[in-house]
Amino acid sequence: MVFDAARRDDLRRKFVDFVSSGDKDLRQELIMAHMGLAEYLARRFGNRGEPLEDLVQVACVALIKAVDRFEPERGIEFSTYATHTIDGELKRHFRDKGWAVRAPRRLQELYLRLGDVVASLSQELKRSPTVPELALRAGVSEEEVLEALEAGRAYRFASLDAPSSSDDEGETLGARLGQEDPALGTAEERATLSPLIAQLPEREHAILALRFVEGLTQSEIASRLGISQMHVSRLLARSVAQLRASAGAG
Amino acid sequence: MSAQEVVHLTMPARPEFLRLARVTVAGLASRLGFSWDEIEDLRLAIDELCFAIVGTEALPGSLVVRYRLSEHALEVEGFLGDGPSSRVPAFSDLSGLILTALVDAHGTQSDGSRPARAWLRKARLERTD
Repeated sequence: MVFDAARRDDLRRKFVDFVSSGDKDLRQELIMAHMGLAEYLARRFGNRGEPLEDLVQVACVALIKAVDRFEPERGIEFSTYATHTIDGELKRHFRDKGWAVRAPRRLQELYLRLGDVVASLSQELKRSPTVPELALRAGVSEEEVLEALEAGRAYRFASLDAPSSSDDEGETLGARLGQEDPALGTAEERATLSPLIAQLPEREHAILALRFVEGLTQSEIASRLGISQMHVSRLLARSVAQLRASAGAG
Repeated sequence: MSAQEVVHLTMPARPEFLRLARVTVAGLASRLGFSWDEIEDLRLAIDELCFAIVGTEALPGSLVVRYRLSEHALEVEGFLGDGPSSRVPAFSDLSGLILTALVDAHGTQSDGSRPARAWLRKARLERTD
């Protein structure tokens, strides 16, 4: 990512202003200005078994961290500093996920199959099924169900409920549902927990609000949004992890 | 089951080991008859509990997670086994909000006589069938 000289000077000035004022709008502008760098670096780690979307999120969190910690008076270019920070976080992500990424394919496939079993049993029983019930219906052991639950975290979540387009980034919840659910507006309005939540994509934002503010169960949210409970589970886990990382960087 | 059974898990206080805490809570909750939804809640809650103790960076020493099982409920507490004793577990506002939605009770305890700890409790819903 290359800025022309005038833009670079402008950004340098804004970094100096941000360090002295802590202005939130400036922070947002500086983050957005370098989003392309984060995406570029994330792509360099593509094709290593991790969904690109997850890598971009790791890179974005690292970018936020870099913006917050950058000291312009040291004379180093922000892009140099940020590249170092983002690269480090991406490498750490691979190291930390080492186990999960190696989850056997058999368990990842079982996780996908369990998604259907959870949905059909929930409907039949009119409640969330237990692990023994799931194991019996899926014809596997309870241990395998539990292992699959953990292995599912490593699976490319988008494939659990693939949207019609290859990339649903930027798609609004309203567009996905066909029409807005008035309750979502209320939930989102009430989710003034942290400005960090505003950084999440709209769908994750809504899911967090429905779960943690409105108190709906994962199954209820799945039914409300027309996606699988497994997908809700993954989006929740990922969003919470992202918020936690962002908060840690703040 | 006897009145209370206790499981101790001791592991390095590093984020990459936290999956063990999740796997364990899922196994124990399943044993107690918790539903799939409740188990998912507990897995997220365990992440919050461990985060309150360890944070996102690796710490030297160990993290101890103690699971106490009663007939319908699971209590979990975590503390640093032999790491820096000055570190006190703390739930952020966000973690507090998340845990309020996921479990029946949670908190931190620091009485000086033993390592400071974070804890949570969740009972399973009674089923009518």
